[in-house]
Amino acid sequence: MFEISNGGQVLKKVHPAVEQAVDTLDLNGSTRRRLLSGAGLASATLAASALLSACKQEQAATAIGNFPKTPKWKFVFVCHVTTNPFFTPTQYGAADAGKLLGVDFQWTGSQNSVVAEMVDNTNTAIAGKADGIALAVVDKNAFKGPVDQALNAGIPVVSYNADGARNDPGTNRLAYIGQGLYESGYALGQRAVAKIDSGAVAGFIATPGQLNIQPRIDGAQQAIKDSGKPITFTAVATNADVTQGLSIIDAYIQGHSGLAGLLAVDAGSTQSVGAVVGKYKLREKGLKVAGGFDLLPETLNSVKGGDLDYTIDQQPYLQGFLPVLALYLYKLSGGLMFPTQTNTGLLFVTKDNVAPYQSTQTRYEGSSQEPKLVERSGPIAHA
Amino acid sequence: MRNPLEVLVRRREASVLLVAIGLLVYFQASTPIFLTYTNLRNIAQATAPTAIVAVGIVLLLVSGEIDVSVGMVFALSPYLMHYAIDLYGIPAIPAIVLALVVAGGIGLLNGFITMRFKVPSFVTTLGMFYVLQGVLLTTSGAFPVPIPPETKGGIQTWLGAGDWASLTWCLLIVAAFHLVLTQTRWGLHTVSVGGNLLGATEAGISASRVKMGNFAIASVLAGLAGIMEAFRINSIDPNIGGGTRVTFTAIAAAVIGGTALAGGSGTVIGALLGMLVLAELQNGFNLIGISANPYFLIQGAAILIAMIANQYLSRLRRAGGS
Repeated sequence: MFEISNGGQVLKKVHPAVEQAVDTLDLNGSTRRRLLSGAGLASATLAASALLSACKQEQAATAIGNFPKTPKWKFVFVCHVTTNPFFTPTQYGAADAGKLLGVDFQWTGSQNSVVAEMVDNTNTAIAGKADGIALAVVDKNAFKGPVDQALNAGIPVVSYNADGARNDPGTNRLAYIGQGLYESGYALGQRAVAKIDSGAVAGFIATPGQLNIQPRIDGAQQAIKDSGKPITFTAVATNADVTQGLSIIDAYIQGHSGLAGLLAVDAGSTQSVGAVVGKYKLREKGLKVAGGFDLLPETLNSVKGGDLDYTIDQQPYLQGFLPVLALYLYKLSGGLMFPTQTNTGLLFVTKDNVAPYQSTQTRYEGSSQEPKLVERSGPIAHA
Repeated sequence: MRNPLEVLVRRREASVLLVAIGLLVYFQASTPIFLTYTNLRNIAQATAPTAIVAVGIVLLLVSGEIDVSVGMVFALSPYLMHYAIDLYGIPAIPAIVLALVVAGGIGLLNGFITMRFKVPSFVTTLGMFYVLQGVLLTTSGAFPVPIPPETKGGIQTWLGAGDWASLTWCLLIVAAFHLVLTQTRWGLHTVSVGGNLLGATEAGISASRVKMGNFAIASVLAGLAGIMEAFRINSIDPNIGGGTRVTFTAIAAAVIGGTALAGGSGTVIGALLGMLVLAELQNGFNLIGISANPYFLIQGAAILIAMIANQYLSRLRRAGGS
């Protein structure tokens, strides 16, 4: 642009975008030529404003897919552990959905599960007139007020990843998008009792009472109870800090010989269970089943090596992608398309299907930033 | 009469006030929402509880000590209130007073260990931090509980849940302790033992009495702030201050506000302004839409830049002569 306006210097080549932009100005032929050849200072201003208005028009006119043009909505995600790697694919999911639909998303919350910080961030999103909020409801009492305020202000709110306590979501959010926490814990336990007839089972939990994992251990315990087998279940608190959690699990194993099963309901504890099973060769000492949650690399190694029988994938990418989609459709339809309860899945990763998780670096599991097609072939595993 | 500008520059709080105003102007220019009623309430609620903790920290820093256990007192005291009400049937107000008395006792114990056994206060209170954390997690089963029904309504509203309740308490406490530190014998003794322990002791000031008193004050203020924060978020959560988060934020606020880590000088109003700066940063970046990961980078840089500016202004102030 500077070159165009540089005195009498006539440019040989005019960039097509500039020509296009200039076309948007309703000019007669000679002015247009003068403008393009850049005679006179005024042409700079003209060219600039033409380009600017062209840009603006382009942005405003962009309707995506078959959807009408919408304002650039901003959806705010409030997370309880913003920097936890579990949520890396969640952020990719939200970013991808945002790009697909032409909306912005913001990732905020607390770094270490401080509810007050999350409440502050939710209030800030409301004050900031966010167009939608996705909230991890890790405390059923604390978020009722903020969610009601958001709804009163006309801001749709969905919960993701955590949704208050079992049978009591605690807030009036429109829908929950995430794993059925109690159900997934129940499935964890069910799968364990299929292999165990009697004995002691330990269930490890990083932060008892935290509502994104406590329901899982409750579910596991119930499944074992429902089986009617003479199995004792003990819940053991580990630690949010994986290194300390590992020491606690290690010590527990040393103090309790002959355990029939080891279950864990959070990513860190699961990884540690796998490590400890391998370290003490517990498979040779009567351990019948070991399982847990999430896809930390070490967990996958343990599944592959046989130290863990299974781990449950709750598909964190979907926990970012689907809330954006739900909020978008709500806004798009003026509230007629209401967010629906969505279970993001209960996928057992076992020795049979662990390979692609390990060999694939993909944005959809958080192990790569790059958007890339993941090829697959062969039959789909089924029961 | 000096001209008002000179008076402003001479005051220790002036430079951090300028930083706070600068941030306010910047964020308001970036987003028109910054100065709306609801957002000012957000900033007030993010500022007040930690600023109250910071007041106690200032007294301790001035007297030459530090207390890192305040973050755990902050988390424990709502549970103490909950135990008193829900397990022992004590009425709400006495239960809250009891929780604060226990908090004060913890402070006295910190002071006693520090003074009697000559354990550096950082170590004493670090130990106390873990002891209290253990007590908290064991007694609560690490499980969040709802606010006791007896406190619902008036007490909850006045003690934190009301829009401006925490700020009102905060301003009262800051005003009171500003007077204590600058106008009373206690304040004078606090500055003396922190600035020149030997001189103060030889002048007949009982250093352990002053320091233990300030430990108690710091703990009580942390306990009060914790109870207020529990009322505000309507849940008693074992992780309410994030443990070390409240401690470090309060120390940062005190230091940003112009209190010397080495003791002997400090200002309560400065700590309030320091906390305001931190809350503005948090809130403003959130409004602009900076996501969590880059946020820490920017917050860290902002603190450094704010502090360098603060130091520069302080130097100007000193150069102005005093």
